[in-house]
Amino acid sequence: MADVKAPVRPALAGPLREAAVAVARHASGLRVILRHRTATVGLAIIVLFIAAAVLAPLLAPYGPFEVVYGPDRGVVRLSPPGAANWLGTTNQGMDVLSQLLWGARVALAVGLLSALGSVLLGTLIGLVSGYFGGWIDEVLMRLTDVAYGVPFLPFAMVVTSIAKPSLALVILLVIFFLWRTTARVIRSQVLSLKTRPFVWAARAAGAGHGKILFLHIAPNVLPLSFLYIAIGVQTGVMLEAALSFLGFGDPHVQSWGIMLNAAFQAGAMRSAWWWVLPPGLALSAFVMSIFMLTRAYEEILNPRLKAI
Amino acid sequence: MTGFRRYVVRRLLLLAFVVWCILSIMFVLFQLLPGDPTAIFVDDNFSPEMIDRQKQLWGLNDPLWVQYLRYVGNMLTFDFGNSFFQIEPVAHIMADKVQNTCLMIVPALIVSVVLGTLIGAVAGWRRGSAFEQATVATSLFLHSVPSFFVGILALMIFAYQLRWLPSGGMVGLGGPEGLWEMIASRDYWVHLLLPGLVLVSREITGPILLLRSSMLEVKGSDFLDILRAKGLSEHRIITHATRNALLPLVTYVAVMTGLLFQGQVLLEIIFAWPGIGRELVQALNDLDYPVAQAALYVMALVTLLLNLVADLLYGVIDPRVTYD
Amino acid sequence: MAGVLDVADLEITYRTARGAAKAVAGVSFRIATGEYLGLVGESGCGKSTIAKAILGILPANGRVTGGRIDFEGTDLVRVAPAELRRLRWSRLALVPQSAMNGFDPVYTIAQQMDEAIRAHAALPAEAREARLRELFAMVGLDASRLADFPHQFSGGMRQRAMIAMAMVLDPTLVVADEPTTGLDVIVQDQILARIKEIHDRLGKTMLLITHDMAVVAENCDRIVVMYAGKVMEHGGEAVFQAPWHPYTLGLCNAFPDIDDGDRELISIAGAPPDLVDPPAGCRFAARCPFATARCREAEPPLVEVAPGHVAACHHLDRVDAMRERARDPATWLAAAAAVR
Repeated sequence: MADVKAPVRPALAGPLREAAVAVARHASGLRVILRHRTATVGLAIIVLFIAAAVLAPLLAPYGPFEVVYGPDRGVVRLSPPGAANWLGTTNQGMDVLSQLLWGARVALAVGLLSALGSVLLGTLIGLVSGYFGGWIDEVLMRLTDVAYGVPFLPFAMVVTSIAKPSLALVILLVIFFLWRTTARVIRSQVLSLKTRPFVWAARAAGAGHGKILFLHIAPNVLPLSFLYIAIGVQTGVMLEAALSFLGFGDPHVQSWGIMLNAAFQAGAMRSAWWWVLPPGLALSAFVMSIFMLTRAYEEILNPRLKAI
Repeated sequence: MTGFRRYVVRRLLLLAFVVWCILSIMFVLFQLLPGDPTAIFVDDNFSPEMIDRQKQLWGLNDPLWVQYLRYVGNMLTFDFGNSFFQIEPVAHIMADKVQNTCLMIVPALIVSVVLGTLIGAVAGWRRGSAFEQATVATSLFLHSVPSFFVGILALMIFAYQLRWLPSGGMVGLGGPEGLWEMIASRDYWVHLLLPGLVLVSREITGPILLLRSSMLEVKGSDFLDILRAKGLSEHRIITHATRNALLPLVTYVAVMTGLLFQGQVLLEIIFAWPGIGRELVQALNDLDYPVAQAALYVMALVTLLLNLVADLLYGVIDPRVTYD
Repeated sequence: MAGVLDVADLEITYRTARGAAKAVAGVSFRIATGEYLGLVGESGCGKSTIAKAILGILPANGRVTGGRIDFEGTDLVRVAPAELRRLRWSRLALVPQSAMNGFDPVYTIAQQMDEAIRAHAALPAEAREARLRELFAMVGLDASRLADFPHQFSGGMRQRAMIAMAMVLDPTLVVADEPTTGLDVIVQDQILARIKEIHDRLGKTMLLITHDMAVVAENCDRIVVMYAGKVMEHGGEAVFQAPWHPYTLGLCNAFPDIDDGDRELISIAGAPPDLVDPPAGCRFAARCPFATARCREAEPPLVEVAPGHVAACHHLDRVDAMRERARDPATWLAAAAAVR
């Protein structure tokens, strides 16, 4: 069973063994998740999106910005779904299905990179802050307070309009927005972990701060970090979509948010439902599938959340 | 009570520190702005003296630290200067836009909190019932679906396809203008209906899930048995239980309002609602930096103040909280 | 003799994941006006369940499946909800386990006591206020603390406030359900002394539920010994002075003897039987050092051993020998070995 609370282990267990135990707990956590119905559905949808992203070059009939020409050599603008373009075309004559598939790549890249980045940063700050305490904790936690005070979407809009909008910048902004939650949660976890006997034992055995922090404490907060990676992917994708929809995204990539922005600007909501629905539904399905997974994971960590 | 006073002072100092940090970040950000803010006014035909006059006017010839101090002072006194394009002082524009944003989120919040509390309390009280399970499933669904797509869908269906409701704006063309005339008008409420419902569909999930779980916790409390043994009516007992379960909601609502204040940008854009978020987007597109700067600052400030309210209320409503 | 409370053939069943568990299986006793009855037994024997059934606060999975609880002529099992609500607290009140948080944490003590009065009587505010002060004085609490919140009280003070709240409407019967668990020993004595004082001075009828034989011996007029949902022995002071039932003998061993301080304490080994699938015969047989084949086959009836004193054992004829052997720790050790 995946469990946030670290069981008290023999004091002399080697650090390698501890890491192995943590990994084993993850593997069994996955098995528990698979027993959860909604989680399985969520996982299936995610696998589908990953497949779409990986296979986009093979599956997509056109490039993300490629204009479709009809038999009469004219641009096929706002064509409804049909045999030639399964999901129709945009006002500039681009294939919606292709954009959708390429968009999965962007979503996955943004989601994973921003989640990994923010959790890495947040976990590191949480570990250091909780473990060392004192003025280090004070400084890092006030930093967290400031980060909490910054309104994300408005702030990101200002930054992207000052700098040149790019996907890398969007990812950096999402990381800046996300690390704070992970840091706070991990910190409080570390505060309780560092009073456990196995930490005293390690200290008594002469282990240095780095060793205690990364080999004894860190493996025990991994299940939580894992949860925040999943939540981070979801939030990251949502934030990129929101920012792009508002017109502050990277114009050189084709993301679902950019598609929605273009469709919205072109008034496609009145005329071309096939241009609006696919990116919106893809975004919703992706976000919800991860939510299903994280919810199941949370329910396993904290059974009280469950209905019934 | 001195413990509480000390806590309030500490909390206010923290607020001042965070505001100062944010102001400094903003100063740096807007220093980095592409081009000289005067460029917009400066014509190629301007003589160097005229350009210098402009710079003098905007205080750009002063040393950086003087500009910084003046900037902080102005921001703290809500003196946001003048818009590049609009005649009104920015402070007036901000007041107007904040009011408009509130006209969208306050009614939605009231409905969400009142209705969500009731639904959540009943769901928690009737643990294991079909009602509880349906409520939780629906709430989780609504909570996870991106609300701006819900907004787009609602617009497509109710405004464009069925043509039941207006597609955007706060009032129709030539509609009422003053605050109270607007609230009293049918026009405003018709315009509010669609964005309001979309907001409620998401914001209601928080109180529902929170109340349900805190009600479950309260239901396990021993004091409920005593209340029953005291011969109180079922109504009185539920009142006791809800009063206990409400404690975490109060802080939640304050925090949620703050988040909403910065997060409703998307719905303001979709429904062409002339609020502060839409103003920020337009100002950034128009390079109207005084407005953009003020909007960002006001949004941050509102969130911070509501977080402060949340923290302070928490101690006031729960007698068990001590500050010693 | 007019009885305040007459419990007859009471059966209470809990729905559990493994099936129906009969926590109380045919219990009868009565409490006369002004009497102080002790209901004693190990945890899980059904004594607290009876208290909950009397007050009508059984948990959702528990139900009275047979018998009557006659309170001043009203059957509490079948009474209409409105009538039950009227009786509660005005005629029968509860002093709950002190480990339990009997007070709502977000209202003051005074508000909660006042709420009980207002639910039952139309009294002017000054009269209610005076009543609260009077009660606080009675249990030895300072009236200035009335406006405090429960968390501002210590465990002992909270329990005294609870006693005051139980007395607020001058009820006929007070049920005290393990009122001293979780309190330290000195405070325990104070709380029990308060309850005893209320019984003696105000002539209240009391039902004390406890696992502590010594407490019963010190306080109660009569005693019911329960084991695994059944009455094992029931009578006056003789129950602890000269017990007839092996279980009562064991219980008396487990607590310090008032007369013989040097005697070592012996506990009864083993655990009570599974109530979902109770054993045939005497329920105590598995842990009883005197059990025979007959005990495991047929259930012994309650037999009157002296006027007003009954016990349920097949070997009442051997009681002298049992009393003798029960004083020897080796007897119980041997039984413990047999249990294993």
